[in-house]
Amino acid sequence: MSVAAYGRLKSKKRKTRMANVITFVVILIFAALVIFPIWWIFRTSLMTNAEIYRYPPSFLPGDWLFSNYEKTLEVFKFWKYLWNTMIIIVPSCLAGTFTATLCGYAFARLRFRGKQFIWALCVGSMLLPAMVTLIPLYIGWTRGLGLQDSYLPLILPYFCGGGAFNIFLIRQFIVSIPRELDQAATIDGAGYFRILFSIIIPAIRPAMIVVALFIFIGLWNDLLQQMIYINSSDKFTIALGLTNFRGQLKQDWSLTMAATCMSFAPGVIFYLIGQRYFVEGITLTGMKN
Amino acid sequence: MKASKSIGAGLLSVLLVSSVVGCGNNEKNTASSTPSSSAPSSSASSGGEASKTPEKTDTKKEKVKITYSMWGSAEEGNVTQAVADKFNASQDRIEVEVVAIPWESYMTKLNTQATGGQLPDTGMLKEDGVIQWSSEGMLNDVSAMYEGSDSKPLDSLAYKYQGKTLAYAAANEVLLLYYNKDMFDKAGVAYPPSALDKAWTWDEFVATAKKLTVDKKGKHPGEDGFDKDSIVQYGASVENLPWQLETWALSNGGGFYSADGTELRIGEDASVEAIQKVADLYLKDHVAPLSVGQTDDGIQRTIIAGTVAMATNGAWNVGTSLNTAKEEGLNYGVAVLPYMKDKVTLNTGGANVVFSQTKHPAEAMEWLKWYNSEENNWGLISSGIWMPTLEKWYTDESLTRKWVENPNFPPYDEYKSAVVDYARSSAARPAAWFYTNHTTDFNTLLGSVLGDVWTGKTTAKDAIAKNLDALKAAHSGNN
Amino acid sequence: METVSKSSRRRARIYSAEARVAYICLIPAFLGLIFLTYVPLLSVLGISLTSWTGLAKPEFIGFDNYVKLFTTDPYIKDSIIATIYFALLSVAGSMIYSLFIAMLLNRKIPARGFFRAVFYVPYVLPAAAIYVGWSWLYEANFGFFNYLLSEIGLSKVLFIADSSYVVPSLSLISVWLAGNLIVIFLAGLQNVPSVYHEAAEMDGANGWQRFLHITLPCMSPIIFYNLLMSLIANLQVVTPALALTNGGPGNSSRFMTYLMYDQAFVNYKLGYACATTFIIFAILAAFTAVLFKTSNRWIFNEGGDDK
Repeated sequence: MSVAAYGRLKSKKRKTRMANVITFVVILIFAALVIFPIWWIFRTSLMTNAEIYRYPPSFLPGDWLFSNYEKTLEVFKFWKYLWNTMIIIVPSCLAGTFTATLCGYAFARLRFRGKQFIWALCVGSMLLPAMVTLIPLYIGWTRGLGLQDSYLPLILPYFCGGGAFNIFLIRQFIVSIPRELDQAATIDGAGYFRILFSIIIPAIRPAMIVVALFIFIGLWNDLLQQMIYINSSDKFTIALGLTNFRGQLKQDWSLTMAATCMSFAPGVIFYLIGQRYFVEGITLTGMKN
Repeated sequence: MKASKSIGAGLLSVLLVSSVVGCGNNEKNTASSTPSSSAPSSSASSGGEASKTPEKTDTKKEKVKITYSMWGSAEEGNVTQAVADKFNASQDRIEVEVVAIPWESYMTKLNTQATGGQLPDTGMLKEDGVIQWSSEGMLNDVSAMYEGSDSKPLDSLAYKYQGKTLAYAAANEVLLLYYNKDMFDKAGVAYPPSALDKAWTWDEFVATAKKLTVDKKGKHPGEDGFDKDSIVQYGASVENLPWQLETWALSNGGGFYSADGTELRIGEDASVEAIQKVADLYLKDHVAPLSVGQTDDGIQRTIIAGTVAMATNGAWNVGTSLNTAKEEGLNYGVAVLPYMKDKVTLNTGGANVVFSQTKHPAEAMEWLKWYNSEENNWGLISSGIWMPTLEKWYTDESLTRKWVENPNFPPYDEYKSAVVDYARSSAARPAAWFYTNHTTDFNTLLGSVLGDVWTGKTTAKDAIAKNLDALKAAHSGNN
Repeated sequence: METVSKSSRRRARIYSAEARVAYICLIPAFLGLIFLTYVPLLSVLGISLTSWTGLAKPEFIGFDNYVKLFTTDPYIKDSIIATIYFALLSVAGSMIYSLFIAMLLNRKIPARGFFRAVFYVPYVLPAAAIYVGWSWLYEANFGFFNYLLSEIGLSKVLFIADSSYVVPSLSLISVWLAGNLIVIFLAGLQNVPSVYHEAAEMDGANGWQRFLHITLPCMSPIIFYNLLMSLIANLQVVTPALALTNGGPGNSSRFMTYLMYDQAFVNYKLGYACATTFIIFAILAAFTAVLFKTSNRWIFNEGGDDK
């Protein structure tokens, strides 16, 4: 290695190190800004109700009332709500991700009659706010199928493709995978399903994790539908449990925020677990050349 | 018209039925789905419950099941269920089950249930929905409920429309003036009066508020060097939710509606002027914080936060937030509202109704009548959230003392004069939704029309004049 | 001649096998589209031609609801403007913000996993709670932001209490919430073959050139997806109005879906609400169509698309 080349490499290294330091500082600033409102919610969960409205607002709670969390747990049956929510979420996530992958594959790779039309229907369904079909669906599930106070109206839709958004997402990811990969497999005589399971699915695992994550969060926070379909308090989910702090015109914000802080932990944990798989996505693309 | 009506209904039912065809729809199930919605057996796993027909009402030994829905948390639901259990034990024909739904989603859920024919038998209904639901045929006639009974609710608490009694309020509430005693003591200003005959005029109210408004340098509005952008304590806050604004329109000799609710009076000068006076508390007098009617936590934001010396709001705040604040050291008092020309306060109260979808109206009414006697919702009354509906609690001093003399309330004499007597005085008038239809729509529109009045971008006069036709349409239900 | 027909027959056979697989894959989605979307949508269309209140029996009134919406409705015009204004601000803001953050997070920095979680957390928080949290920051008299402003001697900004500031204020929250877009961008960045970058670097391309000529084209299907998704989601915005502003002050945040919600669930005008729905639908369709039409020009499909 010549001296000049060595010097260039060294300066390049210094340059990347500089760039990384700048990146880190920028990220740190943004992260602080993003965390600030979350801190505000957390700080509120440790205050008395009078303190929340006090002026000037204080950055730190006065007494750090961790007892608010104990009080919250008396009302907010976290584990029970969590269990109930999981009964809805686990099958929905699995079925939703799987069916979305099937559909996304068909739209991205397969040729068939009526593709354009079905694709248009699919895209069209994204344009409808969920609130719009709420009432016809409610009538259908309750009057038509007699499902009152049941989780099924919340779960079953995810067995039907997991929502157009997710189908679309999977399709976009499959489209961005080099086509030569599955063409090579076709020449080797692999069937369409084998290509899907042995080539496509490993390649789009990050996207599938994202889809599962979205279904998870979507159901986790979907207050409107849960409120309408579930009546009895022993079937309450996390989202319903959270609204339960509102009594007869009365709202206990400290406890509500304590419950809020507890309730988003599972979502973050799920994300942290899923995050590991993002990194693995790279291996495939290296195969291209 | 008749033909088109049936076409519409036919089209609709075809569409609705077709939305479930192919999913194993069966008519039997539709017919048998009673609103006893939370039977413990209907768990998530047992989707196909079509075979179970809970039609046991023919056999005399079986109790009639009644579902009662209320707004509130699950705990509040449990408390009410405990009361209902007493009722269930007291006789052997009716079994009441309580369903508690959070306040914010209450009407959404009820409305959805109504479209699906899944309403409970009886329940609470928000004030502004009563007349509308009734005119759509969704409520049972309850006028016979208190026939032959010696203890009747206050007459002002009956929802009446076109000469008919539609429902009775579950509770009584009036609008009051709350104030922070420590702030008054510190400023050396006399407390607002709790007796109606000593009520402040609007000008006295504003003058006092100025003394209590302080900026960072300790200056009051009107003094040299006063800076409105660095106020640290405000003198007064008048709640400007549309329905509460009617108080001031009435007090100024105007109003929102004529006495029978048929004519609109909001365009009159007196009404417009009253609304402008409320806005000017912030804009001109600099004694009030800005509020644009986006939240309903007025008392928390003002009195409890310790940033405002006086604030108007409903009597329920005594029990929903002020009692806890009192325990934490807040020294507050209650007074009657100031007035412009006439002394006015509004009384109101959510209704207890029997839905017309029920199969057991008589039993539902029996439960309501039993439940509405104060001994049975004592928890809500003694906490200060509800005021009793029966007259005797206001007239019989021993009963009044039983009600008010407990740590949740401000001093007896004050509350007795500023709330108990006030509620029965000539100043107390029923809120518009006791006798006017379409108040929800009207209040939504009024709130939107006045949005820029509070910040001073327009005046009440211009805003209302510009939208008078739309307001009229909303009032008449043509909107 | 013979070989041509033979090969076309063979292609047809492959084609039908391929189609069979496709149809099997699409069965679940097809059921969903029919029973959960289009049949309910048809009934919404039916209801929009009636005066149904949700309570009493419906009455067929033809297109009266639509006529009323376009002639006398006091909200709809403001509502459309507010919605589009909000959507454009939020989409632009959250796209730039999330791509920028995703690219920073894709670099080798310490505690990368932690930072990724931080930017994602707002998206996981229950909507009602975050809006209440923000309302304390934005509050006009004693909120934290105004406290800061008064401490440094500036005059107050009314934020959500002022009809000219409410939409930008709400858009800022919506940008803050864009953690889902960051996640998708991150997943997409992982799929950009690193060999391209290495090759370009050999050729002496700087960071900006590499971003322009490698990252952006490779990411274009993902950018398109995020753009579409955030456009649709923001045009359907409803939660800030429900949780924070009630559509006010005035009509400045009376977004279309909120208007529809208010008509259907608060004011019992179900027929009317369904008519409003179709206006929302038309606006969304128009925006989406424009996006799709222009997409062919800038989307770079590595895998190719046989549409």
